[in-house]
Amino acid sequence: MSEVSAETANQIDAKGIVIGLVGIYIAGMSGIPYLAFLAGIGAIFATKMGANAVRSVCSYGIGTGVPSIGMLALGMGIISAMFGLAFGWMVDIPFLGPIVGLALALAIGFIVGTLANKVIKLNIPVMERCLTEIAGAGVLVLTGLSVMVAGSLEFPDIARDVVSTGYIAPIFILGALGILHPFNASLGPDETQDRTMVHAYSCGAIAMLIAGICSIAINPIAGAISAVVGLVIWYVTFRGFVKLAKRDAGAGWVGTGLLPPGAM
Amino acid sequence: MEPAMGMGLVALMGAAATVAGCSEDLESDIGSQSNPNSQVQLAAQVGYPHRIFNKAISGEPPSNAMICAAGAGVAAMLMASTDVSPLIAIAIGAFVGALLDGIYSVTSYIGRSTSQKRFNQYVYLDVLRNQVLSLMGHAYITTFCIVLISYVMTYVMVDPITGLGGHPFPFPVIALIWGLCVGAIGSSTGDVHYGAEREFQDFKFGSGLNAADSGNITRFAEAGIRSSIDNAWFCSKFGGPATGIAFGMVVFLDNWRSTVFAHVINGWGAVIAGLTIVLVLALYNRKLETYARKKYGPFPEYAGDIEA
Repeated sequence: MSEVSAETANQIDAKGIVIGLVGIYIAGMSGIPYLAFLAGIGAIFATKMGANAVRSVCSYGIGTGVPSIGMLALGMGIISAMFGLAFGWMVDIPFLGPIVGLALALAIGFIVGTLANKVIKLNIPVMERCLTEIAGAGVLVLTGLSVMVAGSLEFPDIARDVVSTGYIAPIFILGALGILHPFNASLGPDETQDRTMVHAYSCGAIAMLIAGICSIAINPIAGAISAVVGLVIWYVTFRGFVKLAKRDAGAGWVGTGLLPPGAM
Repeated sequence: MEPAMGMGLVALMGAAATVAGCSEDLESDIGSQSNPNSQVQLAAQVGYPHRIFNKAISGEPPSNAMICAAGAGVAAMLMASTDVSPLIAIAIGAFVGALLDGIYSVTSYIGRSTSQKRFNQYVYLDVLRNQVLSLMGHAYITTFCIVLISYVMTYVMVDPITGLGGHPFPFPVIALIWGLCVGAIGSSTGDVHYGAEREFQDFKFGSGLNAADSGNITRFAEAGIRSSIDNAWFCSKFGGPATGIAFGMVVFLDNWRSTVFAHVINGWGAVIAGLTIVLVLALYNRKLETYARKKYGPFPEYAGDIEA
């Protein structure tokens, strides 16, 4: 995994948290429903943050654990996101919701990472850090997409429009796949960071697209805007992924043919 | 709702589940997902580059949960915001689910093959083109049936005595759970037929498996080099139907006991019936296992290493 001009984990985390939170706040508090798609864009950057953490921790030979870690991320994320939003509503300061959720998720992630490393003794040096990042990504993806669908930061709105309608189900599973699939689909010794990261954008955009389609039932115009923005981002990043895969495969990218010489 | 109508719905759900289970298993076999996937993934590394589709969308349960939940979400949106009939809404939702399956399959085949470049693994675009449409076709059938089951459970089935309808969970969440369920059953029932039987049928019963044999799964078919469509042909003879029967039984028996015994002993009748079914099946499975061991065993005693 030699990387030229790679983004560091700190840069990816900073972008994920800042863009994630800013998107959630603009979408939830600006009062302009058509800006809801910004929360989805925040969720895409948070997806990338989670995918990079999965990439770091799973490079230690966690093969079949890759999907489990993605599910763990959204498991920690959904608890923290709902707690944070409900807390913000209880104290009547909705602004606090996403930050409380994020803080709780980071704490849960750190505790789970410490348990895995110190008690179960997995002894992976980056475990604590990566699980903290993954939990943070999970909560931002879930809060971001929920706020995008409901167009509000108020817990009762999210409970009515996202949870009791059931749209939480596609958000949950597509959010989890966005975090786990980029690395899972590139598993192997010749995986490169930029390819996996472009793939993370593309998976995040699919989650945004489907959440946007679902939110057409809540707010048709805002939902359509989110879906179209998601579709455009997906198209561009998917093309980018194929281009990078072509670059990495080199002469191995063939239209058809027999097995390589000496393979039989 | 009359009891006969309730039983008719239970039978319809069982039939839809049987079809869903079968198509789910064949879809995962074409893509070599879950059980055989580690062998396909390993093949290039043990010196066997191949032309088999490597569809690594997480495990089967999350990937089927994803297509079913997304399909149900789109169907729920259509039913809530337009006056389209539920059947059309479910068909459109299933189409979206199939598209998602196709997108994730393409990225995992390209990504995983590219990441094995140093082992001489090529990305064959004809493999991609030939397999993706059959994957999407099977995924469409699975999603349609699962979303249909979820719709019937949520909106159509009502309690025969109280007349109260519906399931307390919203429709896409039920689709998510049934998607996980069909994936788990396909992974544990049907994939064994491909992952173990297809590769190791010429090995002695109980002889143990060598990791270096893993790559063989990508080698010889009945004629020429093995392809993913050969695997679908092989698995459609046993693995797919077995998965269908297993999943159909799960859906049918579960809904049957909760429909028939819903009001026996304040609802505890359904619980007792469920426990009885589990007990009978566990005993039957144990009997089947000992029968197979007696019939095809015994395991050969260890008699020192055998020259290769």
